Amino acid sequence: MVFLLGPILLVVAIGFSSGDTVEFPPPGFSLRWFDQALSNASFQQGLLTSLLVAAAATLFALVLGIPVALAVQRRTFRGHKAVETLFLSPAIVPELVLGFALFQQLMVTMRITALGALLIGHTVLLLPYAVRVTGASLALSDPALEEAARGLGAGPLRAFFAITLPVMTPGIVSAAVLSFLTSFNNVPLSLLLKGPGISTLPVEMLNYVQFSYDPTVAAVSTLLLAATVGAALLTERLVGFNKVFSR
Amino acid sequence: MSRKATLGLLLAPGLALLAFGFAFPFAVTLFAPPAAEHPDVLGKLGDMLTDSYVLGVFARTVRVAVTVTLVCLVLGFPTAYLIARAPKNRQGLLLALAVFPLLLSTVVRTFAWLVILGRNGLISDAVLATGLTDRPPELLYTEFALVAGLTQLFMPLMILTSYSSLSQIDSGLEDAARGLGASPGRAFRRIVLPLALPGVLVGATLVFAGAVTAFTTPLLLGGSRNRTLATLLYDYANVKLDWGGASAVALIMTVLVLVVGWASGRISAKVATS
Repeated sequence: MVFLLGPILLVVAIGFSSGDTVEFPPPGFSLRWFDQALSNASFQQGLLTSLLVAAAATLFALVLGIPVALAVQRRTFRGHKAVETLFLSPAIVPELVLGFALFQQLMVTMRITALGALLIGHTVLLLPYAVRVTGASLALSDPALEEAARGLGAGPLRAFFAITLPVMTPGIVSAAVLSFLTSFNNVPLSLLLKGPGISTLPVEMLNYVQFSYDPTVAAVSTLLLAATVGAALLTERLVGFNKVFSR
Repeated sequence: MSRKATLGLLLAPGLALLAFGFAFPFAVTLFAPPAAEHPDVLGKLGDMLTDSYVLGVFARTVRVAVTVTLVCLVLGFPTAYLIARAPKNRQGLLLALAVFPLLLSTVVRTFAWLVILGRNGLISDAVLATGLTDRPPELLYTEFALVAGLTQLFMPLMILTSYSSLSQIDSGLEDAARGLGASPGRAFRRIVLPLALPGVLVGATLVFAGAVTAFTTPLLLGGSRNRTLATLLYDYANVKLDWGGASAVALIMTVLVLVVGWASGRISAKVATS
């Protein structure tokens, strides 16, 4: 536990340092690096890109993934297993390889903009999570409920919105949180799919760390940590933290 | 609408995205990269497999990944065991603490190791303070740094998967073995270990695949002296602009991960039936 959490606490301590370079223990307490971090133009731009891409890709992945989860969990058809494996496969291949492939095909050959390529790439990346986590909530629910609704005269759409969707809600919330964070934190895809004015926060942080060694990144990290704790606690209140990780 | 048509409607959008944004680019890049001056990926691959530098990088990647997997196993499994045996109402919190780092960016988690291992970092300061030497040890940009950083990165995966199979084992089984005269060590070996093995295997596979494909950590902690396949791929793609070479490295990486995943699947299938 010390090994897992110690380094993270170290980063927080350095974020509040008053020193000019990264040193531990910090020579004093100050908020100057937070000021520095918040006024850094490339971090601001990166944060905006990251939030936009994460939110949009999460939405796309859920919109595309929920129907797939429905098909995989509720239907029997030929090639069932193959379809399931196919939709989980983007999670198996190395992300860097996926990023490189998308960079070549989408950006170089098809001349799609960096933002477009980022959105497509992140949606592909998140699709397995969306299919799997929403599918898990479906697998736990009883299909007889939907059949009963249909038997009582509800149309397929009405049965979906009145019964299936509410049953899936915890799974959808978990999938959304997990997807958002996965996209937001992703480096390999985002690093290769960047263009003028378009790069995500982790990529900007990575570039910054490679060339300068001061506590700014520690301050950004501390802010991200606080936001993540907040998101995790909120999810815990909504659906239970362990559900997010049980799949 | 017929059932077939609805099924098609449910699957079609997702399949279209996978074809456009995954399968097609993947196939093209691995086997026939466009716009490359030397589109002969298999030729490149042949050159690489006899190039001692690339072979060295390959060996380092595997060596580091195996070490990381073993360390995660040795540290993570006991942690998971302790969590699974903790009082029920504390398990959730302990697990959340162990798994929480997964939600943070790899950049954040790797940055910490720059602080610990760097030139003016914690460890080198501590060594200098002992007065034994006035030259701080070189820790950053070594394989040791890679192993430390990657272990911290992927340990939560091992704890999580081990916990999920350990928590399903009825602790009564272990008690029964003890009651029948088995020593604690024997009860653990004969009861807990076999039952936990599938989860541990999944965890080990995830850690290994993660360590092979990790990018941020080798970039920051390994530097140019200790490249792994991932940083080598990035180097070919973005610095040397040798896309045939990048595709060849991508192919090596993908095959390595798939082979290990397949092998682990076979082993767990065997364990499950025996």
